[in-house]
Amino acid sequence: MKRRDFLKGCMACGAAATLGVSGNAWGINSFEGYPEGMGVLVDLTRCVGCRSCEAACNKEQKLPAPDAPFDDKSVFEEKRRPTEKAYTVVNRYDAKPGGPVYRKIQCNHCNEPACLSSCFVNAYTKTKEGAVIYNPKVCVGCRNCLIACPFYVPGYSYSSAFNPVVKKCIFCYDTRLKYGNPPACVEVCPQEVLTFGHRNELLKIGRDRIREKPDRYVDHIFGEKEVGGTSWLYLAGVNFDQVGFDTTMSNDPILSNVKDFLGIVPMVLTIWPALFTGFHLLATKKNHGDGHSGQEDPKP
Amino acid sequence: MNRHKANGVKIVDSHYKVPGKSKWGLKEKLLLGLTPWQYVIQAVRNPFNWILAAIFAVGLPLIAVRFIFGLASVTNSSYDYPWGLFLTFGLFAMVPLSSSGFMLGTTVEIFGRHDFEPIERLALLNGLLGYLFAVVYLLVDLGQPWRLPYPMVVAYGPVAVLFLVGWHVATYLSVQVCEVSVSFFEWIGFPLGKQGVRRITLGLTVAGIILSTLHQGALGALYNYAPGKVHPLWYSSAFQWLHFFVSSIPGGLCMVIVVSTIVRKTMAWRCDANFLDNLDKLTISLAKGASMGLITYLVIKLMGIAHDNKWEYLATGYGAWYLFEMGIGVILPLALFAYSIRRKMVGLIRFSAFLTVFGVVLNRLNTGMITFNWKMAEREIPTLREAIISITLFSIYIVTWRFLLYRLPILYTWKTADERAIAPARGYVTEGNAEPSMAGSYRSRINDNVAWIASQQWP
Amino acid sequence: MYAVRNWLFGGVFMLVLIASPAGSRAKEIPDSISLGSLANLYEKVDFNHAKHIMLVKDCAECHHHTTGTLTQNPDCVRCHKNSGATAVVACKDCHKAQPFSGAALREKSKTAYHDDILGLKGAYHQNCTGCHRRMGGPTGCQDCHVRNKKGDAFYSAGAYAPPQAHGEGRQRGN
Repeated sequence: MKRRDFLKGCMACGAAATLGVSGNAWGINSFEGYPEGMGVLVDLTRCVGCRSCEAACNKEQKLPAPDAPFDDKSVFEEKRRPTEKAYTVVNRYDAKPGGPVYRKIQCNHCNEPACLSSCFVNAYTKTKEGAVIYNPKVCVGCRNCLIACPFYVPGYSYSSAFNPVVKKCIFCYDTRLKYGNPPACVEVCPQEVLTFGHRNELLKIGRDRIREKPDRYVDHIFGEKEVGGTSWLYLAGVNFDQVGFDTTMSNDPILSNVKDFLGIVPMVLTIWPALFTGFHLLATKKNHGDGHSGQEDPKP
Repeated sequence: MNRHKANGVKIVDSHYKVPGKSKWGLKEKLLLGLTPWQYVIQAVRNPFNWILAAIFAVGLPLIAVRFIFGLASVTNSSYDYPWGLFLTFGLFAMVPLSSSGFMLGTTVEIFGRHDFEPIERLALLNGLLGYLFAVVYLLVDLGQPWRLPYPMVVAYGPVAVLFLVGWHVATYLSVQVCEVSVSFFEWIGFPLGKQGVRRITLGLTVAGIILSTLHQGALGALYNYAPGKVHPLWYSSAFQWLHFFVSSIPGGLCMVIVVSTIVRKTMAWRCDANFLDNLDKLTISLAKGASMGLITYLVIKLMGIAHDNKWEYLATGYGAWYLFEMGIGVILPLALFAYSIRRKMVGLIRFSAFLTVFGVVLNRLNTGMITFNWKMAEREIPTLREAIISITLFSIYIVTWRFLLYRLPILYTWKTADERAIAPARGYVTEGNAEPSMAGSYRSRINDNVAWIASQQWP
Repeated sequence: MYAVRNWLFGGVFMLVLIASPAGSRAKEIPDSISLGSLANLYEKVDFNHAKHIMLVKDCAECHHHTTGTLTQNPDCVRCHKNSGATAVVACKDCHKAQPFSGAALREKSKTAYHDDILGLKGAYHQNCTGCHRRMGGPTGCQDCHVRNKKGDAFYSAGAYAPPQAHGEGRQRGN
């Protein structure tokens, strides 16, 4: 038995080595997310705007007391966004005559996060469970991540004088996701708007829902491909741009916009010295008098 | 100062109070050779100082407030507009204007154009101070400025463009400090230091060009992180970094013209004949360089629009604003330069340089603030406190400029340069082959100084 | 002799009753069910089963096919055309209280069907609110279950509400 396993191991490694070495001939890799990555499917056709998810997040993440109770519906009068005190918010859109549509906004935990790509102290990490988490101990406060996030998610605690840090949804990583449990908002939702599971499974579930009830859903899962794919996926019954989504987003992750420039950097570092030293030698040659080769025309 | 000079006060311009006999002490050098009382009088008489005093009275306490109570006390604390005036004006606008350091360095050291030397030191100092104060603005803007060294020693995020900016600015500041240290060593009387720096000047200059190309470009690439947020006319998917880099060329050159104009008007007593006599000619040369930069910039901006097919945006309100920025910052200066360079109308050249500087600043403000989040319903206007702090920091920048220009041999030649030994700098003309038409060249000034020292009655 | 016969009839009758399928045992159907799965935030719900039987009549409306009557829902009928009663009927027996635990997810990934089954809370709300809206039943959160003190603290409401900065014009939701 042991010898058979040993031979199997050799074959597997050999095969992997020969196949693996060929690498990626197209040049640029795309990252579809970690295979064990979790996600949440947000079904906007089910949400009734009860704001229990906001309350759950507030308690789980030990956020400060809100300005208004979580059952106060008057907050829907204006459109809100996640802040340093509220990692998730629900907005109401009067998008269709049948009634309002509610949307839960939180960090989408992208596969290739813009915040992570823009951080020069590597404060963000995409964990294998799929969460994009943040290390406040190294953050310098440049706020490039706020500039980069296409969903306008991160908040910053400007009010703190001595330890301002980025504040955003972390998928309840420290308290729940690490242990395989769903985040607080998912657990509390009465209408089960939020379905927790592996990202690839959720894509299948989302497609099944659309297939079974084509009149109920718009045929698109938002977040499947946008900006490289996100872990939080959305289904809706109306067009996504009517409920506040940016439907002009490209499918390329934000990082790909700066890759060309980053590729030029080592080129300049290598080419410029030779180029400009060359210019120098060419430009000042006739003034050299200290031993550089200067073939003079023979005097007539 | 003019009154002091008219009264016969001798201002420091060499190591010696009385040639060959007593030397200036450091304190006297700092006070420009005036008595403390004379110094105070000239400061109080200067009306510009009254304006500065008013600005500092309001602004310095506000800066303290920012550090004691946090950014929320002076900014809008916006999550949608995280970068306000401090960064957009203090860093993004000031850095392209400070590119003069590497450009004049390249002109003189790489291309061997020593006829630019009278203005080279001014340009180097412009570069140094611009970058230094960009870092000061950054320190005021950062949430935790005491962690600024983190990307260098604690945690590395090399995939981020800002990582490159941080490392480059730090390295480039060192390069510029070395380049400016030449005049400092002259002033302080440390010729060994000066010789040491002169030996590595070529390497420093090449390093300066590399670093400047990359970080001027990188500041543009930072906006590539927000492709949907900057208005399409100010955003180029492929060329954002090139637009920023190329616009820094006329920006830096024209900033030198602007600074030299101000200096000529307000500090003529400090400038020597070498500077003043060559200034007009050099201004014209700088303007030629700036025009080439401007026409290049204009064309690559148009190419950027064509590349992403954004012509229809020109017909919108933002389009009109874009045409205004290009008109007043690029096209008008180009036309004025073309007209005035030919006819050697230096006054018009100077005016045009001011327009170019304005255009560069406006471009950065547009990209980072005015057209940022153009799809959002509301625009955000920086708070008054932010504006006051920005003005205060800019005033400190001007005061630092003035302090250094009054003292260091930038606008004037230090009469006892290279007092001990004159190290033959590489690549320069040896005695026999000097081109007689290079009046004001480094070599001939050295010759003058040698002759002057030789003529003194040494004890 | 007749007493024995009567006893026999009675015994057989009881046996038949006991042995007959669960769905026909009308007296096992509860009139009121106490739903306590939300106890940490809300008071228990005393669900009036008898009233709903009277109003809805068709068991399949809420219980799908599990009580024996066939369901009309086209998504279910695809497979459950002939499915009859099941051993368990209560909602909580198929709809888990913790639908997203690690164990639940592992189980889901093994099934080819019913991989999108709602959890208990979702099932209650999804199954009930649609009909309640149409028929004028209770639709607000507290109309069915009242918050207890812990619930008030959770929602920062009631006694735990933050002091109001602008009191006028604010509508209080359910």
